[in-house]
Amino acid sequence: MMEQIAFYSMAGLAVVSALAVVTLRNTVHCALFLGLSLAGVAGIFGVLGADFLFASQILIYVGGIAVLMIFAVMLMGRASDLTLRQVNQEWLAALLVCAITAAGLLRGAKAYLGSVAAGAPAPSTKPLGRLMLGDYVLPFELISLVLTAALLGAIFFTRKETLPSGGGK
Amino acid sequence: MTEEEKPKPNAIPVHSSTEGQVGGSIPQVQPPAKNLYPKPVYSKKAGKLLKTRLWPTERWANPWSQPEYRNAAFQLAAIIGGDLLYKYLLAGTALLHQHLAARGIPSGPLADPAWTGAALRTGAEVAWTAFKVILVVGVINVNGLWAVWWERKLSAHMQSRLGPMYAGGFHGWAQTALDSIKLLLKEDATPADADRAVHRLAPAIVIVPAVLAFAPVLFGTELAAAKLDVGALYILAVSGVSVIGVVMAGWSSNNKFSLLGGLRAAAQVVSYEIPRIFAVVPVIMFVGSLDLAAIDAAQRGYWLGFFPRWFVFWFPAGPIALILFLIASLAETNRVPFDIPEAESELVAGFMTEYSGMKWALFFLAEYAYVLLACFMMSVFFLGGGAAPLPFLAIVPSWIWMLAKALFMMFVFMWLRWTLPRFRVDQLMDFNWKFMLPWSFAVVALAGVTIAWL
Repeated sequence: MMEQIAFYSMAGLAVVSALAVVTLRNTVHCALFLGLSLAGVAGIFGVLGADFLFASQILIYVGGIAVLMIFAVMLMGRASDLTLRQVNQEWLAALLVCAITAAGLLRGAKAYLGSVAAGAPAPSTKPLGRLMLGDYVLPFELISLVLTAALLGAIFFTRKETLPSGGGK
Repeated sequence: MTEEEKPKPNAIPVHSSTEGQVGGSIPQVQPPAKNLYPKPVYSKKAGKLLKTRLWPTERWANPWSQPEYRNAAFQLAAIIGGDLLYKYLLAGTALLHQHLAARGIPSGPLADPAWTGAALRTGAEVAWTAFKVILVVGVINVNGLWAVWWERKLSAHMQSRLGPMYAGGFHGWAQTALDSIKLLLKEDATPADADRAVHRLAPAIVIVPAVLAFAPVLFGTELAAAKLDVGALYILAVSGVSVIGVVMAGWSSNNKFSLLGGLRAAAQVVSYEIPRIFAVVPVIMFVGSLDLAAIDAAQRGYWLGFFPRWFVFWFPAGPIALILFLIASLAETNRVPFDIPEAESELVAGFMTEYSGMKWALFFLAEYAYVLLACFMMSVFFLGGGAAPLPFLAIVPSWIWMLAKALFMMFVFMWLRWTLPRFRVDQLMDFNWKFMLPWSFAVVALAGVTIAWL
């Protein structure tokens, strides 16, 4: 009972704040609601007993990604960001795409709909670590490679051209 | 009910007999009220005397403290009532169950003693959790009072001054308590062009993660509000959320200094979080667990019978990791030499510029809470937690050692704050990405070497 209350409130929080992200006009409010939505997802992980995922979701998404989003919105913001609506005339098409994607996801997830998750967080860090450096070491390392490439690419593209000598600094 | 009909607590009662007379009425001198407490007031609209109800405690109370007395009465009643309820409800439901069973009536879940017992246990658990939360919040509040006074005295003595000397008597011990009363009474101002909702919410977003992050903190061996298997990661994760509140404060104030302070805070905290987490990785590698209790237990014992097995002495990774963690914690808590988000010589007061009164105090409280949190973390991760430095000192309880180590690290925090100048923004970022980050990677490798060697 308690788990269900916690789960549905967290799920509701995630969905409602995600809706606020795409419907509000003020982009800073949208960015803040994005943080709330990601925190709601972390709460869902917590309710389902995935304690490591819960902590890393907060660490990476709420404390990192959301902050960077807010940072970018504030730094790059224009005055019109606070009042302009975010949707253009193609909202119907977007809604259709969303509906089809959601239906597809639902079909995929249907097999697990009835299964009951553990209520309280169970220690999952050790088994996760063993899996990542054991059975799934190749995908794990491939992801690290992709992330390193992305990092180097970001540095390469944002770097300013420096003059050959003397003028650089 | 309009304003004039309301029974005013301290209003001098109007005699209804004078109201009906028209013209040439004799001006009657009102007798001074003997009793401070309200008498029934005549309302013209209602056509009758309005009774003002008094709580029994209010008969003797100062009128200013009426709500306090009422709350105290409620709390006392709740405690006694809850206790009685817990004691007698179980027995009562068992009796009811028996009676119903004897008459052949199927009893619902309410009459089932097992169900009621489970419900009562859940209630007791909730109450116990709430009590622990209040205790932890008390730690944060008392720490704010103590640390501000200590910092003022320390800074004063470092600068050949005396600091607070008068309030309370001995060395101005009551200075922060009186300061907080002053802050409570101050006007809570909001800029006219501020985003009011975000402006109001920002201090809460800063302080709530600070309280949450204290949940798994060890105050002594096995003395924690919550036992989490991912304790170390949880603290690092939750304490990183506060920066959202800082950025919200900076943006919503609609002030360029505030915005700059908020942006600086975001950039700084997100950058320094990386070496801070990597500095904890050696400890996790040594222990093989993220649980703070396990980390504390792993540092028990002595080499050669006298040299403590604290992680700070695990050469070479331990000491380097501690220094990296200390530097990164200084940056995370926005303290000098990393206080560019609120650099008063450049940005007025940074993101706190447009805050006053208690909201401003909440930012300060959160800062000191994070200082204490960082000190407890260093104490658990590197300085042996509740372990005594020498074997024969183990008779001293673990919480005293934990507190002593944490307070020593807090002294180091303040010492650094009052002896070092501030970084420039670009120097700060260079220092993080070109010094802290490579060394934090190196320290993980060194920890591997240490494990292989030991």
